[in-house]
Amino acid sequence: MARFNLYDEEFFPSPWQHTWRTFKQSHIAMTGLILLIFFSLTAVIGPFLAPYDPVEQNTNSLLVPPAWFDSGTIAHLFGTDAVGRDMLSRVIYGCQVTFGISILLVIIAMIVGVSLGAVAGMTKGVRSSILNHLLDSLMAIPTLLIAIVIVAMLGTGLVNSMWAITLALIPQFVHGTRDFVRDEMKKEYVLAARLDGAGKSFLFFQSILPNMIELLVVQATFALSTALLDITALGFLGLGAQPPLPELGVMLSAGLEVAYIAPWNLAIPGICIFLMVLAVNLVGDGLRSAVRKRMSS
Amino acid sequence: MIRYALRYLNLMVLTLLVLSVVSFALAYWFPGDPLTNLSGIQEATPQTERFLAEKYATEHNLFVQYWHYMQLVFSGDWGVSFSSGLPLYDEITLALPATLELCAYAFLLSLIVGIPLGFIAGLKHYTGTDYTVLSLSVFSYSIPAFWLALILILIFCLQLGWLPLSGRINLLFDVPHQTGFIVIDILLSDIQNKSAALNDAFRHLVLPTISIALINTAITVRLARRSIIDVMSKGYIIAARSRGLTNNQILWKHGVRNTLLPILPLIAAQITTLITNAMVIETIFSWPGIGNWLIQAIYQRDYPAIRAGMLAVSSFVVILTVSIELITRLLDPTRDKNERGTI
Amino acid sequence: MPMLDIKNLTLEIDTPVGWVKALDRINLTLEKGEVRALVGESGSGKSLIVRAIVGSVPDNWRLTADRLSWKGESLLSMNAEQRRKIMRKEIAVVFQNPQASLDPSATLGDQLEESIPAHLLAGKWFWQRNAERKALASKVLHKVGIKDHQDCLQKFPHEVARDVNHKMMIAMALVSEPELLIADDPTRGMEATTKVQLLKLLTRMNQTKELSILFISHDLLAISSMANTMTVLYCGQTVESGKMKQLRKRPLHPYTKALLDSAPSFRKELPVKSDLSALDGTIPTLQHLPIGCRLGPRCPRAQKECVKVPAVRRIHEHYYSCHYPLHRDKL
Repeated sequence: MARFNLYDEEFFPSPWQHTWRTFKQSHIAMTGLILLIFFSLTAVIGPFLAPYDPVEQNTNSLLVPPAWFDSGTIAHLFGTDAVGRDMLSRVIYGCQVTFGISILLVIIAMIVGVSLGAVAGMTKGVRSSILNHLLDSLMAIPTLLIAIVIVAMLGTGLVNSMWAITLALIPQFVHGTRDFVRDEMKKEYVLAARLDGAGKSFLFFQSILPNMIELLVVQATFALSTALLDITALGFLGLGAQPPLPELGVMLSAGLEVAYIAPWNLAIPGICIFLMVLAVNLVGDGLRSAVRKRMSS
Repeated sequence: MIRYALRYLNLMVLTLLVLSVVSFALAYWFPGDPLTNLSGIQEATPQTERFLAEKYATEHNLFVQYWHYMQLVFSGDWGVSFSSGLPLYDEITLALPATLELCAYAFLLSLIVGIPLGFIAGLKHYTGTDYTVLSLSVFSYSIPAFWLALILILIFCLQLGWLPLSGRINLLFDVPHQTGFIVIDILLSDIQNKSAALNDAFRHLVLPTISIALINTAITVRLARRSIIDVMSKGYIIAARSRGLTNNQILWKHGVRNTLLPILPLIAAQITTLITNAMVIETIFSWPGIGNWLIQAIYQRDYPAIRAGMLAVSSFVVILTVSIELITRLLDPTRDKNERGTI
Repeated sequence: MPMLDIKNLTLEIDTPVGWVKALDRINLTLEKGEVRALVGESGSGKSLIVRAIVGSVPDNWRLTADRLSWKGESLLSMNAEQRRKIMRKEIAVVFQNPQASLDPSATLGDQLEESIPAHLLAGKWFWQRNAERKALASKVLHKVGIKDHQDCLQKFPHEVARDVNHKMMIAMALVSEPELLIADDPTRGMEATTKVQLLKLLTRMNQTKELSILFISHDLLAISSMANTMTVLYCGQTVESGKMKQLRKRPLHPYTKALLDSAPSFRKELPVKSDLSALDGTIPTLQHLPIGCRLGPRCPRAQKECVKVPAVRRIHEHYYSCHYPLHRDKL
């Protein structure tokens, strides 16, 4: 029988509440969310808590192992790298750099991509179809190639690699938005609004956008994981962030040189990247399942 | 049907045109003298300079220059590399097949392992097998490809010493270059120890292929699983059950076809991620492919190489993606043939 | 002995608020050569009965019955293979939405030919059997009323018109020469001419081949022309069942009467601007099922007694379950 309820009131959840409740029920997705919140907090307040300056080199303690080995100390919880920089502080700052920049890029790409996609989806005609074709073909070009071209044009550095990755992320948003907008424009509630005299921007912001937000959030999580992987890949190759900037990919490539004698230099930034991407993917998966369950029931 | 094909060809030609314009424009956008960027010859004598100016038509306006450039590209003269001085066309035709071989094997591996695994997980969904497969797949596609490669090297090459660290084949084997695909080249050549050479080539192939394939396999598993769960709950499966068809008949005749058809374009769209990952992995394994070559080129600011390499790789990717999309559309009976074509 | 015998079938569905009885002690019998109509509003659980008989019950449903038997053998205790054989040879189902019930990636001819069971084919070699399959397919298409067979057989479901799809579904059901045809709202959304054709076909099959038909619908006009017996279903409970003529002349359950009154009959003299007769309220959803007789909140004759589920009573083959049936005066 139904649960006991003193006041038998009807509770009709709004779509967001529905999605959130379904999301909460999945333990795995909640773990991912907690990890994500942890990383966000680290990115924001971590630098205030880091014990050392990430670029300060300490020649007394080179390649000290992490604290759980016999020869490690508590002073350097994750050990130090080849020039004596503390790994823990580097990792904390690295989270800030990698994670923070990825989120920034995703937001920029989302704004640009959604606007372009909306325009492309709502207009018809030769101009829009050319735009569509060009953006579709841009999506077919590998990220790394775009990054190489831009770095060749503008030089290396974090800012330039940011341009490259934003350019690579935009087509996905455009594609998704354009398909969605085009499908929604054929539906009858949009027709009803148009017959009421709604203009194009009203249609977009009031009718279509609220339906699109869930799709956007799911797409944003996947774009975030792509951005994280790309930033670290470019840092690793030396095309993006440059040393001594504490970015996780750069730390990986530095750790590669001492991998045989000090494997933690390689393992710890890598595990950090892995956990970040895992958290984002778990949350994205959980959201997608929750949205799907809501749509089908 | 022909109209469809024409539409796609149109798209492909348009994109290639844009790419070629960009590749031409890069000569101007890259730092340095455009003529040097185009031809690759630095420190030219005045006589050579005049010859080059003639060849690339720098005296005339941009359209004529572009036209000359396209003629040169089609005739195979892509200029010379800054760092090595060798013709770019030769270098690219040496390097591109190496990457393609790696990508092809990784793609095949991801299909062969991914699709059946996805089917099994989908058919038994919400059971233990399914959860195991799901967790494994989420872990797999969250791992950065290059970190996985490094860890594999650490374990298999340095600790255990089972597999070789770099390159495509042991330098003792001298395999003449015919197609660029090392396995085919070994089979076609006439060196003494073919089986030993093949064995060596496979051992070199294992780690890079696995590093790339793991991620794509995980994505394929998820796509296949989701697709089969959707299909099995559809009305026509229940209708087929009510007509008394056996489970096997339902699965193989109705299930498989309807599951694979919607996800083929999505699987093909992963080729771009595959190639990106392959390019990064090549640097780690010193695999003589185009990714490694391009990255070395950018370290050395070898602008003509970057231009030519970019044109080659992106044209290849565009042609491949459009062809696969076209073939799936033509083969798929469920698509509404009047739909607009998009990539 | 009845061919299909269902007694006290209960189907419980697992929802977030607990187990909910979607079907509550249903009774249904079908004799050989009988056309029984199963009538009820949308949401009353008619399609659930079809799925229970067919056996495609998902895992979060629980099915219990005193008797659910086909030709004397209990369907619940059979294993999957035996059930499948019965579905292949003896029972055929026509579903509601033809587009959703046909495989979009297989041609119509393929799907029709695979529905032909092996025992109808006489040939020994597979090419003989294939030829026979094709011949049978063409024959049944002709019977159903599709004009150009060859063209139709090569096409895919989304390429032909809706009523061709509809007829194809019926052809697929009839080609296996079943003894029971369960038609789940086959005339929904059909044009009048196609509807008449279909009903004529079903009547003819019933008369010539003694095909029993379980006709699920809420199209009372179609039903009253064709059915011998009728079972009325409300919200998962059978409220009345008996011969068609008797139910029409003298309905005993208030819901049956409301249903029969609601069908617009242009013969009756309706005063100008009068209300059309209908029951107040709507059918309750699964989350808010009333206790006892589920018509209680809507019924004009409901009393305090109606919070208990009424027992099944019978007058000469006319079964009803109501505390205050129409032949008793309201107290």
